Amino acid sequence: MSLLELCAVVFTYNALTFGNGPAMIPLLQANLVDRRGVLSTDQLLYAFTIARVTPGQANTYVAAIGYMLHGLPGALATTAAIQLPGYLMLPLLWGYQRLGAVRLVPAFTRGLTVASVGLIFAATVSIGRSTLTGVVSVAVFAAALTMAQLLKWNPLVVLAVSTLLGTGAWVLGWA
Amino acid sequence: MPADGDGQAADSDGRPPDDQPARRPNRPPQPISRRALFGIFLKAGLAFGGGLGILAVLEQELVTRRQAVGREEFLRLYGLGRIVPSGTMTALAVAYGYRFAGLAGTVISLTALVLPALVLTVALTAVYGLVRQQQWLPELLPVTILPAALAFIVVAGLRLGREVFRPSRELVLAAASFAGAAVLHLSPVLLLLAGGVAGTVLFRPKEDQA
Repeated sequence: MSLLELCAVVFTYNALTFGNGPAMIPLLQANLVDRRGVLSTDQLLYAFTIARVTPGQANTYVAAIGYMLHGLPGALATTAAIQLPGYLMLPLLWGYQRLGAVRLVPAFTRGLTVASVGLIFAATVSIGRSTLTGVVSVAVFAAALTMAQLLKWNPLVVLAVSTLLGTGAWVLGWA
Repeated sequence: MPADGDGQAADSDGRPPDDQPARRPNRPPQPISRRALFGIFLKAGLAFGGGLGILAVLEQELVTRRQAVGREEFLRLYGLGRIVPSGTMTALAVAYGYRFAGLAGTVISLTALVLPALVLTVALTAVYGLVRQQQWLPELLPVTILPAALAFIVVAGLRLGREVFRPSRELVLAAASFAGAAVLHLSPVLLLLAGGVAGTVLFRPKEDQA
């Protein structure tokens, strides 16, 4: 897959999902992992984990995918590709006063977001099926979910504790 | 857009004055240099917590500390940024960069905003590339980082869908797109666009439906 193709894919998906980091996961999984096979599910998940533990915008993890496929130029080009649609803000600001007809836009956006929620859970099911293969991985997943969702711990802490739990189980020979 | 025009526009709309926040004595909007612009957005790019974390820094710097942007205008720009198809914070970086330093300003603000995340992401990905060939990694990843990542995705989905998980039109649409992807294996792009079109019917502003 050429760098130009990758940028086009990232640009399109970013525009479709209104810049929502996690909402791009199902699209990237369907295209890069399932259809083209240029990326493994492990790589996609690792990229997304990086996004959770680094500061800044949640969609910068595409730079990790760019780096995996095309090195530093890939990281830079994919980052630029997801910033580009932001320039639509300028005509939007200029035309703001006469935007009566665009009242449908928030409704369209909301429809996209709600559909994204369904897609994210569908992707979770399919990724989960291939990733949560043993008792230990299921247990670590449950522990991480509890820490992140119920206890609302910082993602860095969640990641550190999950890694310790899993590594401990692996050292003991359970995994 | 002149900040002092806002008050009059609100009055002629017939809005009650009490929905306006109390104003300090009107100060003219303060200018922001290119260097300060870079600094503000670099600080925003270092914020944790995704878009809202970044927004909090921008509010603190632009509205509260420097008084370069009025509160109403800050909120209006945020609303506009939400409908731009890219990160909302990307759209805001473009808007404020352009406002304070023209097109060159947009490059300054965007570069500063993505720089911290980009550097860290590349560094962490490079580390992954180095250890990927090790024997123990394929055994260790499925019991450590990967289940944690899956949990993060679930949490993100729950957060995105906070208003979806109750009896509502939203829940029906989300369930339909879930079924389309998980059961029928339809293209996610197709399902997203269908969701958007359905949204224009389901979530149209009330006054239009009469």
